[in-house]
Amino acid sequence: MKTVLGDEQLTFLTELRTYLDGLDPQLVEATRIENIEDPMQPRGHGRRFLRRLGADGWLGVSWPREYGGQGRTAIESWLLAEELYSRRLPNGLLTLNAIGPTLMIVGTDEQKAEFLPRIRAGELEVAIGYSEPDAGSDLASLRTRAVRDGDEYVVNGQKIWTTGASVATHFWLAVRTGAPEDRHRGVSIFITPMDTPGITITPIITQGGERTNAVFLDNVRIPVSSRIGAENDGWSALVTALNFERMFYHNEPRWELRQLTDWAAAAGLLEGDSAEAHELQAVVGEHAVDVEICRLFAQRGARMLAEGRVPHAEASVNKIWWGELRQRICDTGLDLIGEDGTIATGSPHAPAHGHLEHGLRSSPVWRFGGGTNEIQLDIIATRGLGMPR
Amino acid sequence: MIDTDLTDDEAMLAKTARAYFADFVDNTYLNAQQASPDGYETRRWQQMCELGWTGINLPERVGGAGGTLAEAGVVAREAGRAAIASPLLSTMRAGTVLDTLGRGVFDDLLARIAAGSSAALVAPADSPLRAEATGDGAYRLAGPAVTVEWLERSDDVVLLLPVAGGDDRSPAGGDTWLCALLPGADLRARAEAVPSIDNERVARVDLDGLTLAAADVALDGIDAGTARYALARANLLRASAMVGGCEAVLERTVQYATERVQFGQPIGGFQAVRHHLGRMLIALDAARLACNEALTRAQPGAEESAIAAVALFAAGRSYVEIVLTAAQIHGGVGTTTEHVLHHHFLRAKAMQLRGGKRANRLREIHHALVVRREGSLW
Repeated sequence: MKTVLGDEQLTFLTELRTYLDGLDPQLVEATRIENIEDPMQPRGHGRRFLRRLGADGWLGVSWPREYGGQGRTAIESWLLAEELYSRRLPNGLLTLNAIGPTLMIVGTDEQKAEFLPRIRAGELEVAIGYSEPDAGSDLASLRTRAVRDGDEYVVNGQKIWTTGASVATHFWLAVRTGAPEDRHRGVSIFITPMDTPGITITPIITQGGERTNAVFLDNVRIPVSSRIGAENDGWSALVTALNFERMFYHNEPRWELRQLTDWAAAAGLLEGDSAEAHELQAVVGEHAVDVEICRLFAQRGARMLAEGRVPHAEASVNKIWWGELRQRICDTGLDLIGEDGTIATGSPHAPAHGHLEHGLRSSPVWRFGGGTNEIQLDIIATRGLGMPR
Repeated sequence: MIDTDLTDDEAMLAKTARAYFADFVDNTYLNAQQASPDGYETRRWQQMCELGWTGINLPERVGGAGGTLAEAGVVAREAGRAAIASPLLSTMRAGTVLDTLGRGVFDDLLARIAAGSSAALVAPADSPLRAEATGDGAYRLAGPAVTVEWLERSDDVVLLLPVAGGDDRSPAGGDTWLCALLPGADLRARAEAVPSIDNERVARVDLDGLTLAAADVALDGIDAGTARYALARANLLRASAMVGGCEAVLERTVQYATERVQFGQPIGGFQAVRHHLGRMLIALDAARLACNEALTRAQPGAEESAIAAVALFAAGRSYVEIVLTAAQIHGGVGTTTEHVLHHHFLRAKAMQLRGGKRANRLREIHHALVVRREGSLW
């Protein structure tokens, strides 16, 4: 069998760990707490942390050297993400790992020069504007409209579930430039500063306490030069970015399992010999199996990217496994804790610091976000098994 | 989605083995062998031995091919894919245990295995069967009867058992194990052939009170970790066979869903069926990746058992999940003895159960991965 992790990769991981261990502990701890509260939008501390990583050359490790990266493979990029997730520190998320690489493929030279250095420095963060109130899974029915007016487009419409809009510097959005009946062939992608006149952001607070947003666009003027790819050809950029996005499902289940096992250790169940301990050990054993498999799915995706192949069904498998596993660990972890599991995050009495109950509250988006798991299953059937559509 | 983990040599080996089995194995053949007195064809067994499969991962000094465990896994996978029953898996498992324990003391038996002699492995996963030292290097076995694959058709029997009461010769200070070699004929009086739920042959053998003379005990004082590692490597061959079964069942089910027409369209067009198929692929993918990873890491002397335990568990869970869903998609036609799916259905559960009790395996995995953090990058 081919080996994936060689000495070079393990040396990289050791160097990375040495670097992270040497960072200002106050910055790291503040970032960690902020990130656990709401991981999808690095805020004050998270932004400072990412700029620190960028300045020290640790963002974009797999980016080509011509774009300021380390020129390493997707394997190292995956190791970096795993290590940061394991420490609950932000890793640049979609901007660095999906939007940047997509720009490298479909962006103009001017766009690459304008955006890539700032993304790699951790200075530019995008919010993604795909979903609309009436266009969720059926994204090709989106209705936010861009009308050409000289060297500009005038955009009107509404986006929803725009996580990170309130902290992002830029907005990456899909809009209709063609006829509605053209479906995905009438969609274009734009990038525009978040503070462009006409953009209004209103918060939506989830049951997990995370903030997402509705974004209203009222005669927002975007220059033609900010269109990504050709007019009405935005779908390929969107699919490219989504494919990168689905490769980010790694180490969070391991972190959640660790919260459960830390609790179990303190309760004497981790190595105990009672019936209760045995039940916990069997349940946790199966979670540990699935956490290892989750790592292997992500590792395989990284290897494929490193080999110049694009994971499609493989990415979908990874995404489904990751989200369902996280939810299962939180759910069955609370089962093992029992009634004390009802004590909410914030109380010093909350078992596992409340991370499992918080995780369960946050968990629905892990299954429907980034393309619902049902859509992923269809992708697996079509692309992985060759079933006719 | 194809397995891209195989090296060129492994892919070639897989192709050869698949073509070999495809040449004569179908449901009619499997049914005929299951109904036959021996349960397999001697001439086919001899062919497999001539192809070098029983000695593929055994050292050249005993007449093996000196290959890797991954190559043995590839052969086991193809046999599992074909759902063919024979002493091949138990012989390869026994050979792998002896080779892993090494030390040259097993070379006579390894040479026989490489040359085409069959062997059974007695190493029950959950049984309290123990060896008690009786002095002068002899032992007496104590414990309930155990179920052993292919005992009655095997020339040799390899016993890998824990020694009661522990032993301070172990570096870890824990229990020690012994490995004894017996001619198969010596155990037949204690054995009773019992029907298996699948097409493999099993016997119930009562070893309680059996005396192992010093000459039978090829090696004792084996550190428990070493013994478990040897078993873990052998178990990877079972895991591989189950992965092959997963592949075969999924392929057949995809084909059936593409051909079977109801309500005017292939049932594979219905989203409910497509999602079943997607789940089956996820299950296969999980088992195959875990198994491949474990085979990659099962280098001689690695003494890392956890990932192999993960692979065995995942393969059993996936194989059973896949046959249950395949039976649902096939409907009545898949449940008849005229359809090869029934062999996989029964083999899946049997092979999973031969790995022992689910809760015990999971607790061992828990101990290795969570408590000891074996092999963890994070």
